[in-house]
Amino acid sequence: MGKGKTDPAAKRGNAVGNVFRTIGVTFKEGDWKTRISYIILGFGELLRGQWLKGIALMLCEVGFIAYILKVGKKYLPKFTTLGTEVTKKVSRKTVYGDNSFLILLFGLLSIFVIIFFIVLWYVNIEENRAEEEILKEGKKLPSNKKVLLSLFDSNFDKTLLAIPVIGVFVFTVLPIVFMICVAFTNYDKNHQAPTNLFTWVGFENFKNLVTFGSSGFGTTFFKVLGWTLVWAFFATFIDYFLGLAVAMLINKKGIKFKKLWRTILVVTIAVPQFVSLLYVMKMFANDGLINGYLLKWGWIKQAIPFWTNPMLARITIIVINIWIGIPYMMLIATGLLMNIPEDLYESARIDGANGLQMFKSITLPYMLFVTGPFLLTQFTGNLNNFNVIYLLTQGQPQSMKLVEKAGSTDLLVTWLYKMTVNNTNYRMAAVIGIMVFAVTAVVSLVVYNMLPSVRDEEGFQ
Amino acid sequence: MKTKKNIGNAITYIILVIISIIWLFPFFGLIMQSFRSYDPLVEYGGMVDYIIPKHFSLDNYRFLFSGETNFLIWYKNTIILAVFISLFQTIMVLCVSYALSRMRFKGRTFLMRFWLILGMFPGFLTMICLYFLLKQFGLTQAGAIPGLILVSVASSGMGYYVCKGFFDTIPKALDEAARIDGASRARIFLTMIIPMSKPIIIYTALVAFMAPWCDYVFASYIAFGHDTSYNVAVAMTRWVWTNDYQGYFTRFCAGGILIAIPVTILFMCLQRYYVEGVTGGAVKG
Amino acid sequence: MKKKVLAVLLSAAMVLGLAACGSAEQAASAAVDAAEDAGVDTAQVAEVVEDVADAVADATEEVEDFGTGEIKIWVADAVVDFTNAKVADFMAANPQYAGYTVTVEPVGEGDAAGNMITDVQGGADIYAFAQDQIARLVTAGALEEVAPENVDAVKSQNDAGAVGAATVGSTLYAYPLTSDNGYFLYYDKSVVSDPSTLEGILADCEAAGKSFYMEINSGWYQTAFFFATGCDLTYETDDQGNFTKANVTYASDNGLVAFKKMIELNESKAFQNGSAIGEATNCAAIVDGTWDSGAAQDLFGDNYACAKLPTFKGADGKDYQMSGFGGFKLLGVKPQDDELKLMVCDALAAYLSSEEVQLARYNEVGWGPSNLNAQQSDAVKADVALSALAEQLAFTIPQGQYPGDYWALATSLGDSVRSGEYKSSSSDDDLMKALQDFQDTCISYAQ
Repeated sequence: MGKGKTDPAAKRGNAVGNVFRTIGVTFKEGDWKTRISYIILGFGELLRGQWLKGIALMLCEVGFIAYILKVGKKYLPKFTTLGTEVTKKVSRKTVYGDNSFLILLFGLLSIFVIIFFIVLWYVNIEENRAEEEILKEGKKLPSNKKVLLSLFDSNFDKTLLAIPVIGVFVFTVLPIVFMICVAFTNYDKNHQAPTNLFTWVGFENFKNLVTFGSSGFGTTFFKVLGWTLVWAFFATFIDYFLGLAVAMLINKKGIKFKKLWRTILVVTIAVPQFVSLLYVMKMFANDGLINGYLLKWGWIKQAIPFWTNPMLARITIIVINIWIGIPYMMLIATGLLMNIPEDLYESARIDGANGLQMFKSITLPYMLFVTGPFLLTQFTGNLNNFNVIYLLTQGQPQSMKLVEKAGSTDLLVTWLYKMTVNNTNYRMAAVIGIMVFAVTAVVSLVVYNMLPSVRDEEGFQ
Repeated sequence: MKTKKNIGNAITYIILVIISIIWLFPFFGLIMQSFRSYDPLVEYGGMVDYIIPKHFSLDNYRFLFSGETNFLIWYKNTIILAVFISLFQTIMVLCVSYALSRMRFKGRTFLMRFWLILGMFPGFLTMICLYFLLKQFGLTQAGAIPGLILVSVASSGMGYYVCKGFFDTIPKALDEAARIDGASRARIFLTMIIPMSKPIIIYTALVAFMAPWCDYVFASYIAFGHDTSYNVAVAMTRWVWTNDYQGYFTRFCAGGILIAIPVTILFMCLQRYYVEGVTGGAVKG
Repeated sequence: MKKKVLAVLLSAAMVLGLAACGSAEQAASAAVDAAEDAGVDTAQVAEVVEDVADAVADATEEVEDFGTGEIKIWVADAVVDFTNAKVADFMAANPQYAGYTVTVEPVGEGDAAGNMITDVQGGADIYAFAQDQIARLVTAGALEEVAPENVDAVKSQNDAGAVGAATVGSTLYAYPLTSDNGYFLYYDKSVVSDPSTLEGILADCEAAGKSFYMEINSGWYQTAFFFATGCDLTYETDDQGNFTKANVTYASDNGLVAFKKMIELNESKAFQNGSAIGEATNCAAIVDGTWDSGAAQDLFGDNYACAKLPTFKGADGKDYQMSGFGGFKLLGVKPQDDELKLMVCDALAAYLSSEEVQLARYNEVGWGPSNLNAQQSDAVKADVALSALAEQLAFTIPQGQYPGDYWALATSLGDSVRSGEYKSSSSDDDLMKALQDFQDTCISYAQ
C-alpha cells in the first residue's frame, strides 16, 4: 500500500469516529436546547423557530415510541427463540400461542425501525449543531417557507424518491430479508404458524441442499440448476438469432407489407400469455390437436409425447418459447438495423462482399455490440422465466430420480414456487431462492465484465 | 440480376407466409374453439380432435355474460387493476427516473446498485411474507384488489432503467437554461420534461397495463378463497387446470378471446411507442 | 440541511404507517394477550375456564345467545348454489343462529387444503376436501375435532369406510359428505363390446381409433394395479396426524406384475393418460368417478354405459381384478377461538352432511351419499354410475390416511413410466429397483 493512499478501512473507522465525536462535541458545546434535543427530538429546532423540522422530528419520536410500545415490545424479545408458548385447547376453544411467523416478521421490522430511529436521532443532533453554528455566526436561519419550498427545488430528489424508496423497503427489502432469515429456520409443513412454532436451525437447510443421497436435495438441485442454465442459454440465443433473421427478412429491400408482417408476429406479445400458452399446451398434449391430426392423417402411429418425455418436453418448451420470443427480438432488431449506416454496406459491396460476409463483418458485430446488455438481461430474465414453463408444463414430467416434486422441466423458480405453494416447504424454498440470487448475480457479474460495450466504450462510435 | 432478386424476394415471401401461418394458427384455433357449442345435443363441448366446429354457436359467450359465473366481475377487477397499476406505476417510474437522471445526491449510486442487486432475488420467494404483510392491513381476500395494486406499485420504482435512459438523452442544457430563468426543479420536471417524454410515458403505461392481464401467481396467492376478488387469469386458469370444471375448455377459449381482443387492439394502436421503448431499453440495458 | 427535514418528514410518515399496521395486528391477537396478561398461572386459569366450558357444553340447549359473526364455507363450484340454498334452509330453521352471516365461496376440494394450510386464520370456517388431505390438515392445525355430541351420530349414520376416512389416529376429525370418491369404468357401448377385460377394451378402442383413458400418474388411480395383484400400502397415524408406521409391499413379485402391466398399458396405442372426461379427446372408455357422470352422459349420449373395472392378464399368466381406492369427500370445521361460533359451525356442518342434505345433493349434482339411509333410497340404488361403483367397491380398499408426499411420489412413478424411463424392454432388475426405491421412500415418510 502506497503512502499517499488512505486505507479504506481506516477511512471508514474515521467516519465512525467522526460520528461519535460529533455526538460528544455537540453535547459538550451545545446550549440547553440542543441538550434537551438529545432526549426530545426536534426540541431545539422548535425553540429556534424551525417549527416545521421540529414538529416533524417530534412526530417521528412519538411514532417510534408508539410503535415500540405497541408492536416492538411484544415481538422483539421473542426474536431469538421465535416464540415458546404453544397453542392450547381450552375445552373446545383454540387458544393460539406464539406466532413464530409474526414474531420473525415484526421482530425484523422492529430492528429496522430502531436502526432508522438511531440514524434520525443522529441527524437531529447534527441539525442542532448546524443551527447553533449559523446563529453563532450571526446569520439568520432559513424561514420555514423556504425549507418547505426547497423540497420542490434543490431537495426535489427527496420528494420524488420518498415514496418509491419506502415502497421498495417495505414490499421488497423487508420480505427479502425475512425470507433469508427463513432459510435459517425449520419453517415447513410440520412447523406451520400459527398452530405450531418454528425456530432457528442454523445452516441445516443449506447442508440439506448439498446432501446427496435419497432424501437430500443435492442431486435434484444440481439437475434442476443444470436445466435452468441450459434453458436460459438456448432460450436467449436461439430467439436472438432467429429474431434477427426474421427482422432482416422483413427489412429486406423490395419486400412489401412490412408493417403487416410485423403486426402478425407481434400478436403473441399482445395476447395475454395465460390464454395463448394454455391453449398451445393443450394443442401439444398427447390427445391434443397436433397429435390428433398427425394420427388421423396416418403420419404417425402413436402419439408423440410432447409433454411426457423429459427430453422432448424440454425441446418443445424451447421451440414454443421461440414463438413467444422472436417478436420481441424482431422489434428491437428492426429499429437497430436501420441505425447501421448504409454507407458501411455500400463500401463493403464495392469491395465485393456478399450478403453473408456483410452480415458477419458488419451487421452481427454491430448488433452484438449494442445489444450486449440486452442479451444479459434476457439471459437473467430467462433464468427466472416462470410463465412459459409453468403455463406449459408446470415443471412436469416428474421423475423417481428427483425429490420434492421437482420435474424434468422445472426451473429453479418454478420448483421454488411449487415448494412454497403446494408443499409449504418454506425453509427449502428460501434456500433455493438464495441460490437463484447467487446464480443470477454470478452470471451477471461475469458476463457484464465480458461485454464489449463495457470493455470498450468508444468501440463503435 | 433482376430475376435473381425476384427469386430471392419470392423465397422471402414464402418464408414470411409460413411464419405468419405458424404464428397465427393457435389464435385461429382459439377462435374456432370458442364458437363450438356447449349443448351436448348439438355438439359435444369437451375436448375434440378437430378445429372447425360442426355448428357455430355463441353458447360460450352467452354463458360468460349470463351471470352463471363471475366472469364480468373478474373482468372488471382486471380492468381496475390494469388502470390503476398503469397510472401509479408510471408516476413512480417517472419520479424515480427524473431524480436519478437529473439530480446528484448522496447515496445515488448506492441506491442504483442496491436496487439492481435486489432485482436479482426471485419475486416468488417473498409471496408468503407479502401475503401476511398485506393481511395486517386487510388487503387480502376481500381486499385483494387494492392489495395487488399496492404491491405492484410499491416496488415499481426499481424498474426505472428504460425511462431513465430516455431522460438521459434529453440535453441537460435545457434544464440549466430554465434554472437560470428561475424555474424550480419541480417546475422543470412537470412543464418541460414530462411533455417531452410522451413516448416513454406511453411505453411505461402500456407495459404496466398489460401485466395484470397475465398475473396468475401473485394474484391467486393473495385472493385465494374469495371468488369476487379474482382477476381473469386466476379465475380462468382454474377452468383448465382443475377437474372441477369439466367441459369448460371452450368457455375458456371464449373468455380468452374476450380478454385478448381489447388488449391486442390497444397494443396495436400503441405499438410504435412500445417498439421505441424496448429498442431504447435494449440498447441501454 | 433541508435534506434532513425531508428525511424527517419521510420517516415520520413511515413510522406512523408502521404503528398503524401494528395496531391492526395487535387487535388480531388480543385474545392471546389477554390470556397472557390474565395471570402467571395460565394452566390454572385454563382449568377454570375448562370447567365453565364443560358446564356450557352440558347445557347446550340452554344457550340462547350465540353472538354474531361470519362463517365462510368453501365447496366445489358445482355445489355453490346448492350449498347456499341449504344454508338458507338451515338458518330459517334455526333462528337462534341469526347473528351469523354465511358466505359460500367456490374453492375446489383440491385447492382448499393447500389454502387452509397457507393461512389457517384467513381460511374458511367450514370446508369440503378430499380425504387424502386430512392428515396434512390435522398436522397443520386446520381441522377441529368433530363436536363430541355429534360423534356418535356421525359414526352410526355413515358407512364404515367414510368414518374411517374421517378418523385420524382414534379421533374423528371431519363429517363425511360423500362416499363416491372411488372410480370405475365409463364406456361407449358402441365401441367397447365387452368391458370385462382390460385387453379387450384396449383392442376395441384401438380398432375404432378411439382412446382409453386412465390417470396412471396419480397415486390414486395407480393403486388399481398394485392392489389388484395383492400389494399392500397402508399407514398408521397417531392423533396428531403424524405417520407412525408404513406397511408397503410394492417391491415384490406381485408389485412387479402390476408395474409391468402399467408399462404395457402405457405403451398401448389406444391409451391416454387422464381422468377428466371433459378434457378427454376421442374417448371411448375412461376410468373416472361419479362426479363426471353428467359429462360422461354428454359425451357418450345413447351409448353411455358403466361397469366395474376390468380384469387384466398379468405377465405371470394369471388374471387379476383391478382394484383401487374407495374414497370419500369430507367436510371439516376449522379450529375457532370463539366457542359459540364453533358450536354454530358444528351444527351447520352436521346439517350439511346429514341424510336429508346428502340425498338432496345426490338429486342435484349426483354425488353419491355416505349416509347409510340415503344409500338405501331408490333413486340412489337405481343410478347406473353408482351401481357400477358399488360393484367395484367389493374389490377396492377403503382409503386410509396417506402422507402428502406419497401422492407426489406416485406421480413421479407414473411419470417415469409415461416418459419411457421404464419400458417393456427394461430388465426385471431395473423395474424391481424402481419399486424398491418407491417402497423405501414410502417407508421413510413414517417416523
